[in-house]
Amino acid sequence: MDYSNLRRQAASMKKSLFDQGYLDEQFCQVEDLQDEASPNFAEEVVTLFFKDSARLISNIEQALEKYPKDFNKWDAYMQQLKGSCSSIGASRMKSECMSFRDYCGQGNIEGCMKSFQKVKREHGVLRQKLEAYFQLLRQAGPAGAATRPAM
Amino acid sequence: MAAAAEARGGDFPVGMKVLVVDDDPTCLVVLKRMLLECRYDVTTCPQATRALTMLRENRRGFDVIISDVHMPDMDGFRLLELVGLEMDLPVIMMSADSRTDIVMKGIKHGACDYLIKPVRMEELKNIWQHVVRKKFNENKDHEHSGSLDDTDRNRPNNNDNEYASSANDGGDGSWKSQKKKREKEEDEADLESGDPSSTSKKPRVVWSVELHQQFVNAVNHLGIDKAVPKKILELMNVPGLTRENVASHLQKFRLYLKRIAQHHAGIPHPFVAPASSAKVAPLGGLEFQALAASGQIPPQALAALQDELLGRPTSSLALPGRDQSSLRLAAIKGNKPHGEREIAFGQPIYKCQNNAYGAFPQSSPGLGGLPSFGAWPNNKLGMTDSPSALGNVSNSQNSNLLLHELQQQPDSLLTGTLQNIDVKPSGIVMPSQSLNAFPASEGISPNQNPLVIPSQSQSFLASIPPSMKHEPLLASSSPSNSLLGGIDMVNQASTSQPLISTHGANLPGLMNRSSNAMPSSGICNFQSGNNPYVVNQNAMGVSSRPPGVLKTESTDSLNRSYGYIGGSTSVDSGLLSSQSKNPQYGLLQNPNDITGSWSPSQDIDSYGNTLGQGHPGSTSSNYQSSNVALGKLPDQGRGRNHGFVGKGTCIPSRFAVDEVESPTNNLSHSIGSSADIVNPDIFGFSGQM
Repeated sequence: MDYSNLRRQAASMKKSLFDQGYLDEQFCQVEDLQDEASPNFAEEVVTLFFKDSARLISNIEQALEKYPKDFNKWDAYMQQLKGSCSSIGASRMKSECMSFRDYCGQGNIEGCMKSFQKVKREHGVLRQKLEAYFQLLRQAGPAGAATRPAM
Repeated sequence: MAAAAEARGGDFPVGMKVLVVDDDPTCLVVLKRMLLECRYDVTTCPQATRALTMLRENRRGFDVIISDVHMPDMDGFRLLELVGLEMDLPVIMMSADSRTDIVMKGIKHGACDYLIKPVRMEELKNIWQHVVRKKFNENKDHEHSGSLDDTDRNRPNNNDNEYASSANDGGDGSWKSQKKKREKEEDEADLESGDPSSTSKKPRVVWSVELHQQFVNAVNHLGIDKAVPKKILELMNVPGLTRENVASHLQKFRLYLKRIAQHHAGIPHPFVAPASSAKVAPLGGLEFQALAASGQIPPQALAALQDELLGRPTSSLALPGRDQSSLRLAAIKGNKPHGEREIAFGQPIYKCQNNAYGAFPQSSPGLGGLPSFGAWPNNKLGMTDSPSALGNVSNSQNSNLLLHELQQQPDSLLTGTLQNIDVKPSGIVMPSQSLNAFPASEGISPNQNPLVIPSQSQSFLASIPPSMKHEPLLASSSPSNSLLGGIDMVNQASTSQPLISTHGANLPGLMNRSSNAMPSSGICNFQSGNNPYVVNQNAMGVSSRPPGVLKTESTDSLNRSYGYIGGSTSVDSGLLSSQSKNPQYGLLQNPNDITGSWSPSQDIDSYGNTLGQGHPGSTSSNYQSSNVALGKLPDQGRGRNHGFVGKGTCIPSRFAVDEVESPTNNLSHSIGSSADIVNPDIFGFSGQM
């Protein structure tokens, strides 16, 4: 296998994720934390994130149904999700979370519902892309990991 | 910047213990990794309630806490408040929420800093500054004779806003140094960003003995469970005192009580029971100590005092049941760092008793100071022999012994010793109420005055003086009776002292018979000037016991008792002052009573000089002979003890209220100054403690 090629592909993929706004600087910080002791740290964190965020999204979904118009509650849940997103640098997802919270603040149910759908969508898209990315990285070998994309 | 920061701190930031609390597992993992990169020691906890438990169990296990604002089981601000009050550790808030009002709220609640998620590595690298800053400010506060927590907290808060925002900008070293400077300036200027609420700087409040006593009275009045800062404040009615001052003080007090309760778990005495507000009151002295320990009073000073008094064995304020050694320890407890000290206060009393009794034989390190009671058989006031006896049970014996001894000893001894709580005269370990008593034990150590009986001693001593004073140490059986009687009286007298009661009560046997723990007044009286006992030298004759012995055990106990006595005063603070000369004296008069109650035989044996029996065992012989010597405790013991009187607890002096000066230093003082201590010389040490 052409590891250097794979690494290049991974790097390019990462760059495009940044360019498209899916990821931000925080993701680099997370990747920077990788070292010999924890070579797959970034992937572990991302995996953890998706697992936990799925739970949070499900909570929000339930809240939207069970507690109609309970903007405070909705906001609180979304706040949690937003915090999580920011921890790994999930930029677009975070934006949608903020948007949802804005709608909550306005008391705009429809806005909330739509926004929530977007959050879910972003969540799914990001998960796919990052899974592909990490897979590539794994194939490329450790050397191809933490490379800061030229941003 | 990071490098600069680290360079500044030297090796300090490395290994700094951080506790991260956040319900978000992703964030927790990332933060942990970042903190590890900063070479800190990291503990993560996803639940605030669990984090709080961890902190409570191991307060010193962490240097700084980082906590999320929004958590399901507890509001982050609430955690912040509790940590600040209970543990006084710097807390950094964190949230994805960057709204100014939330950030402001964090600052108002006392957060050292507020980080906006996602938290960057650079920000984490600088958190060590908060730890240092806080410590630095606290020290400064101490220099200014103690400011309250809120003041401390307020200071760092001033800059939080700036910090928070700067942090987001990726604060750099220059900014930080600016912040530091600003903070210092603010410190000096005592400015506060126009914060209308409690966060504004308040004049430092020094929790003096009197103030604390008022506080304690208020708490007792309300009932410890119902005591809320607002009501306490109202009851206290001290101009200038704010609710926050009271609140933080109350927190510390509660912690103190809790610790005491834990320590005294074995001791039935209510003294310990925080719940019983009534009892709490007497704690006065103790609390003082505790408070001191908790930082109100420069812990170092307190510690030093205690150490001296107690002869350093720390803490083992163990329950009376313990044997002397443990007793001594108890006394020493005070010496233990911080938390320990607090308890020590209360403990000494207990301990003293035991020690005094049994301790003698042992070389109570702390006791050394036992007062010249010396007359008291250092030897074992009989108490020492049976560790258990010493314990609660033995206490009675011991107390008897002490009483016995006391009786035997000339009043002077007692008075001398009792006086200050410090006095620790011959073994009368009267718990000098305030924990200071501990120190007393030292002085008293020569358990010669086993009678010193810790808690009881106070009253005991007081009571003893009359009889004791003039009676030669139990040289003859009769004296012992008197002693006993006296002691008895003392006990009775002391009964009232709640504080003492703890001890006194505990002094099982000792004085407590009536478990009256010496009425505070008694104690005071005792000490107050009458205490010739203390002097022991003369009266007690107990001294036969090598001072060393006393010292160790007895010292502790004595000290304790002294402290106790004094302490009891502390509780009452008036005790000492009350010098009522002797209500207790009256007590002494019933030798018969005493004997009866104690079961002298027991006491005596251990003691050596059975109190009741009047023939001290090995020790007792000393006792008898030492009656004369009472006053003269061997230098070691005595001098120390005396020293103890003065020293030991800085508090004692306070509590002793009038007389007792902070131990060590004031030994001489207390002895001399308080008019109570009758002649330091009697003790054999010339007041130089």
